[in-house]
Amino acid sequence: MRAAHFINVPKVTGWAFLLLAVGLTFALALLHLAVGARGMPPSVLIDALISFDSTNFDHRVLVSLRLPRLCAALLSGAALGMAGLLLQSLLRNPLAEPHLLGLNAGASLAVVVATALPAAIQPTVLERPFLAAGGGALVFAAVFALSSAGRLGLTVTKLIFCGIALSALSSALVSAVLLLDQETLEAVRFWLVGDLAGTSWSQVSAALLPLCLAGVAAAALSPHLDAMTLGDASAAGLGVPLKATRLIGLAAAALASGAAVSTVGPIGFVGLIVPGLAFRLSGKRHLPAVALSTLGGAALLVLADIAARSLLPGREVATGIMTALVGAPVFLLIVARRS
Amino acid sequence: MEAAAFGYRSVRFGPFSLRFHLGHCLLSVVFAVILLGSAIAALAIGSGRAGIADALAFLTGVSSPAHEVVGSLRAPRVAMALACGAMLGLSGAALQALTRNGLADPGLLGVREGASLAVIATILGWPDAPLYLRPIVGMAGGLAVAFVAMSIARSLSQIRFILVGIGISWFLSAIVALILVSADIDNVQAAMIWMAGSLSGVQPALLPLAWTCLVLGGGMLVLAVRAAEANLLGGMTAIGLGVRTARYRLTAIAASVLMTAAAVSCAGSLGFVGLLAPHLCRFLIGSGQPALLAGSAMIGAWLVLLADTIGRTLFAPLQIPAGIVLSVLGVFLLVGLIWQRRHHI
Repeated sequence: MRAAHFINVPKVTGWAFLLLAVGLTFALALLHLAVGARGMPPSVLIDALISFDSTNFDHRVLVSLRLPRLCAALLSGAALGMAGLLLQSLLRNPLAEPHLLGLNAGASLAVVVATALPAAIQPTVLERPFLAAGGGALVFAAVFALSSAGRLGLTVTKLIFCGIALSALSSALVSAVLLLDQETLEAVRFWLVGDLAGTSWSQVSAALLPLCLAGVAAAALSPHLDAMTLGDASAAGLGVPLKATRLIGLAAAALASGAAVSTVGPIGFVGLIVPGLAFRLSGKRHLPAVALSTLGGAALLVLADIAARSLLPGREVATGIMTALVGAPVFLLIVARRS
Repeated sequence: MEAAAFGYRSVRFGPFSLRFHLGHCLLSVVFAVILLGSAIAALAIGSGRAGIADALAFLTGVSSPAHEVVGSLRAPRVAMALACGAMLGLSGAALQALTRNGLADPGLLGVREGASLAVIATILGWPDAPLYLRPIVGMAGGLAVAFVAMSIARSLSQIRFILVGIGISWFLSAIVALILVSADIDNVQAAMIWMAGSLSGVQPALLPLAWTCLVLGGGMLVLAVRAAEANLLGGMTAIGLGVRTARYRLTAIAASVLMTAAAVSCAGSLGFVGLLAPHLCRFLIGSGQPALLAGSAMIGAWLVLLADTIGRTLFAPLQIPAGIVLSVLGVFLLVGLIWQRRHHI
């Protein structure tokens, strides 16, 4: 073994990175509020946040349009970062990501089917994230079962292929529902490509509870996850309940990605880029890694949203496109480096 | 004769000898008859008033009251479905032989997305461009992507080649989406209709071009069929048997990219045909390379024809794009193929 394996990031540095991430997220959030079709100087920004004046047009734009959008980006990015870290640690796989493993496709299918239901039995906004989580968990369970079959056990190739196949099936079903039901198409058209425009406060607040639940679960599981990096046998010897840890961890990942999908639509690749980096920067310990990955995901999605709004003058790009533009090369990099 | 044990026979004409498999030939003829019957049925089915008699009258050149419906609405659509399906089936078979991997498909390798990107850029950037330019531009795009994928993956036959292709496809489709957002809305509509993989807006002007590409690409693959069969034994063995592997690879890649690009630029993205057709052919007809080429072409054509006919008649007057019908069929096959390989990948 090379000496480099013993050099660990000291504990203090991990928390320092965390502080840095908080600062970065905050700065990006302020930039997100200031950038847009109507530029706002920092003074107006501070004014609107401290002493809100409902007769001021700029203040109203900030509080009723940009603030909910910012919160949606922060919450969903955080959820995707957390889900990605949980999946990567539990499956021991750098390519595990909610979008690639079918969680996002299943969640979108559940949301689209729910939207197409008659109004009397339609789920409320508060129930929607849990429904999305259920759909995502169902598709992911199928992907997981199919890719664990065989003598080699769970492999990257099988995971990616099964994720692609079942995601394609889900999106074909989504297309079929949308073709048969014009009203649903109108309702979900922009949401389905990961467009953050027009996010409302009710959607944002609905995502808060599932995200908190997933966060508590992830924090509680992190000592177990630390032990599991030594291998299943050693972890079991240290008293880690392997089955329960996996089940709760995967459920938390499904809950987090369901919360994200029901708020901002199926946005991919955030959970691919952030967690690997977060895990290394935090000295390969899971508690700071969960925090760092959550913050990093939030910062990345806010950054993607800023780019989506300001890349083309006068037009907005769906935020999901921006994350794919950065995420697909990262995927290629990971694949090319594996021998 | 050793080969006769596997059902092969050979005929000699002076200096030339032809080796063929009697069972495969018979099955291919049977399938050709089925394909012809399906095409006539597709001409006769639809919401307009035209039946089987009108379809036969059109084919034999006799004028009938429904000549307009069959001749100018259904016939171009059927002809295009047949050509595009055959091209996609052939390029799937060629890529699977080349990479020695049953999971290879022009869609998964990024070739299709590369061609789409090039064609969309042409539609949007130069709306008045002549139609025949589309397949040429598409081919350039597909070739470029194929070379990028090969240089990143470094080896053709490893599963990594396919993973790299998948990553490239994702990247390119994000760029396509970005272009669609930034372009003029009138041109975007044309691009969207084209992209959905629907044959409802077939342009008869593109028909000669599609069939030319099919004959060209198919001809190249037929010429390379012996090399393809030797290549299945492994690169080293193929060289030992006297195959010029570099030339074979170039031929196979060029033919499959040409046909994929032509199919994509004529009918939009029709997923999974290149994956489905060769596997169905192995199951229904046989797995020697000549049988695989003939069978994949016919089964691909039949699949696209079937998907298009189902799409336009099942929920009429609503038209479901053939691409959606195909992707539902394709997903189940893909899952089956993964299951079959579960011990190896």
